[in-house]
Amino acid sequence: MSNSRTLAELSEESGIPARTIRFYIARGLLDGPVKSGRSAVYSTEHLARLEKIKQLQGEGRMLTEIANHLAGVPAERTAPSPWWQHIIQNDVMVWVRGDLSPWRTKQIRAAIDEFASRLREPESPESRRNRQ
Amino acid sequence: MSTAASFTPLVAATGEALNLSMQRLWLTGQVLPAGARLTVQHVFRSEESQPLEVIYSFPLPRDAALRSFRITGEGFETHSELKETEEAVKAYEEGIARGSLSALARSYGDGVVNLTVGNIRPKETVTVHLELLCGVELHDDGFRFRFPFTLAPAYHPRAKAAVTASGEGELELPAGEFGDVILPRFREDASVLHQIGFELTMVSQLVLDEVGSPSHAVRVKQNGGRSVRVALAAEKDVPNRDLVLDARFQSVAPQVLAGRDKSGNGHFAAVVPSSSFGVPSEAPQRVVILLDRSGSMQGEPISQARKAIDACLGVLSEKDFFGLVAFDNEVSAFQPKLVPGTREFRDRAHAFLTHIEARGGTELVQGFVAAASLLEGADGDILILTDGQVAGTEKILADARSAGVRLHCLGIGSASQDRFLALLARETGGVSRFLTPRERVDLAAVDLFASVGRPLACGLKAGVNVQPEPPSFVYRGTPVLLFGETGDAPIELNWQGGQLSLPVAFSESDIAETVRLLQGARLITDWESRYPSADAWAPLEKRQQNRVAQRLLELSRTYQLASRAMSLVAVVKRAGDSPGELPKTRVVPVGMAQDTAFGAYFQPVTQGMPSPGALPSAAFTMNPATMTMTAMPTVSRAVLAPMLEGSQIFSRIREQFSRRRPPAEASAEAAGQAETAEDMLLALASRMDADGGMPGRDRESRAISTVVALLAFLSQGHTATSGVFRSHVARLVSFLKSLTGLSAHRQEVVAAAIELSNKGAAPTGDWMTLAGKPGDHWKEVERRLSRA
Repeated sequence: MSNSRTLAELSEESGIPARTIRFYIARGLLDGPVKSGRSAVYSTEHLARLEKIKQLQGEGRMLTEIANHLAGVPAERTAPSPWWQHIIQNDVMVWVRGDLSPWRTKQIRAAIDEFASRLREPESPESRRNRQ
Repeated sequence: MSTAASFTPLVAATGEALNLSMQRLWLTGQVLPAGARLTVQHVFRSEESQPLEVIYSFPLPRDAALRSFRITGEGFETHSELKETEEAVKAYEEGIARGSLSALARSYGDGVVNLTVGNIRPKETVTVHLELLCGVELHDDGFRFRFPFTLAPAYHPRAKAAVTASGEGELELPAGEFGDVILPRFREDASVLHQIGFELTMVSQLVLDEVGSPSHAVRVKQNGGRSVRVALAAEKDVPNRDLVLDARFQSVAPQVLAGRDKSGNGHFAAVVPSSSFGVPSEAPQRVVILLDRSGSMQGEPISQARKAIDACLGVLSEKDFFGLVAFDNEVSAFQPKLVPGTREFRDRAHAFLTHIEARGGTELVQGFVAAASLLEGADGDILILTDGQVAGTEKILADARSAGVRLHCLGIGSASQDRFLALLARETGGVSRFLTPRERVDLAAVDLFASVGRPLACGLKAGVNVQPEPPSFVYRGTPVLLFGETGDAPIELNWQGGQLSLPVAFSESDIAETVRLLQGARLITDWESRYPSADAWAPLEKRQQNRVAQRLLELSRTYQLASRAMSLVAVVKRAGDSPGELPKTRVVPVGMAQDTAFGAYFQPVTQGMPSPGALPSAAFTMNPATMTMTAMPTVSRAVLAPMLEGSQIFSRIREQFSRRRPPAEASAEAAGQAETAEDMLLALASRMDADGGMPGRDRESRAISTVVALLAFLSQGHTATSGVFRSHVARLVSFLKSLTGLSAHRQEVVAAAIELSNKGAAPTGDWMTLAGKPGDHWKEVERRLSRA
């Protein structure tokens, strides 16, 4: 793989539109081209960085968080980190990050609900058998 | 009017100049009852030291499509070309790579457009004049034009939002579903943003009786009775709400705008008021009221919605059946099935409503699926009260169509989701209204409710080539809009049990082109609403997606209008273009929509919060009962307070899902706001019994209370055939007609009241105050009637 590519080629290889790549550069997520002007080129490092950004987006992070993460700012200083507590039993409590998407929050709450139900009710012989 | 070059916005807090890449947005054009033909002027100015690329995001109005743009600057003027979107993007990128000034207008899902202008040179001013066509909200007696000056944040289950700078938030939507659309940055304070303004001409075949705006202070100048110029009264304004203009006709009659194109073909747009289709039946209603209780409805909208629902329920009879469902992330139904409109069930529905609080997200599909289940597959209607602030609307529309129920929408908001709610109603056979939060939601709900479930006409057909197809149902108060081609013969309309002939008079103006473009914009909007993103289409047939894409291409080519399949692009080659130089990309910010709390969507980033592992276990006070699965995870303040002392986390958490009311607003309500005539009429309407009469201890007292209520409605201009409370008046009259067993003298009083309702007027006197007083009013009524 060549270590020198145009923006159009970088876009093609990464699957990210050229306009979005320029947007990332303006946001500080990605370095500018290695050379500027007529011979502006992008390196394999640019491609790797774009792949990393896609991966972090897939994990549910916003561009602002990704920019901080890639800049090496410690996570505890950058991530919005309120936490919800769900007290399920006297001896059980579950903590969930409070800045998740409503979709993810809903999924986790459904799981907690199911978990809480199982702890509340004595296990039936049938469910014990199924579990075994 | 100031020029773009002289406009220097300052940050109020610091007095420093703000570097705005877009400085001005100015709206001009002509608004007709059939739609509007507009030009939006965007002035971009670079203060950068390198080439600049600006991205401006805006929502399309209802039934809108972009036609073309013209890009101008010092020494150049270039017009856009319409190309398939992939080709247009390629042409734009090639232009950018060559160092040429390039512009691209591309539509995405939900009717969001990105206007991207790249390679603006340092200190250069560039203006993009964008022409578009859009629809209006039609009423029998006028029309409402709405143009979005901002883009409201919208709920999506997988959206991410956060504060990214002081007073500025960002919203990101999943790329797999929404593509590479770039949303604006949302500023809490819009006062430092680009200036907006407008100067429009409103034209009608009928004499325009009134023109006004509930959103902006306007200057109105008559150009004859059928044409009015409307302009922003101030020199400029800020982009924090939609422009809303209302025009009211002096009379109600069909209008046919017709003209011939260059080939001699006749094109028309016909606006036919619902009154042309007869009077509604008195068939029992089967209606489910669906209330959006998401966080964005908090404050005046939800309190007015509660009052409105009470008043709507007041018009139901024991023969009617109703349901009541509230939704946010979760759905709560008043009853698991439809119930009769008896006093008992209406009182219980009222009690249910008092416990409804705004909270959570806007899971609209869950709401109308639950509402549809109450109808159990039988005929019926759903009336939705919502702000419609949701993303991924194409998927919601697909679900609504497959639900097979008629949805009527009452939208409430200062930034437009009008396009979506109009589609949601139309695509399911219903009607819609959209209000600003500062208008009376309750009165509009009562007005809309009166038409729900009782169509005036079904199976409407036109004798000429009409596209799109005429609506399946015609409802009182909402005209039918038809676009088509015709010769000299009248346009013949037929429906079950009726027919109508509309004469066509061809105009000498360029009306043929305008109505044809409006027709194209409407067809493109309809088909775009069936074009969800790749993610949303996954379970569906791929070939169906291809079919929709192909149809959009055909429509774009036929009407020469942009769509999601075809975009507008222009490249301006100039001396001194510097190939390969990377422009700096800037996204134009927009203001938060008026009455929308910034904190409702954007949560500040907190720093240095303790991790769960660091919590002191001794601080916990355990109670299994605190685990409740509501829309918000339950948090024990007692538990968290010791470790979060000094932080504002609780308020932030609450604000994430809910809007706070301004203190002034809350205190005004606490102090008891002045009761208007409409408030008093709503109270009367909500007290009506299921048989149409007012409550009372016996027949005599019910009779006189009903007479007084009837005269109160008449005194405020509401009759059995006109006004928001027409259904209520009709039911009061019906009750009075059914009365027997009164003394002859009192029967005469009742007959006189019925006669007055036929005339549509009450005798002079303060009937409102009398209606609000308890007691026996026979003598007072007799005295007033005898004087009349």
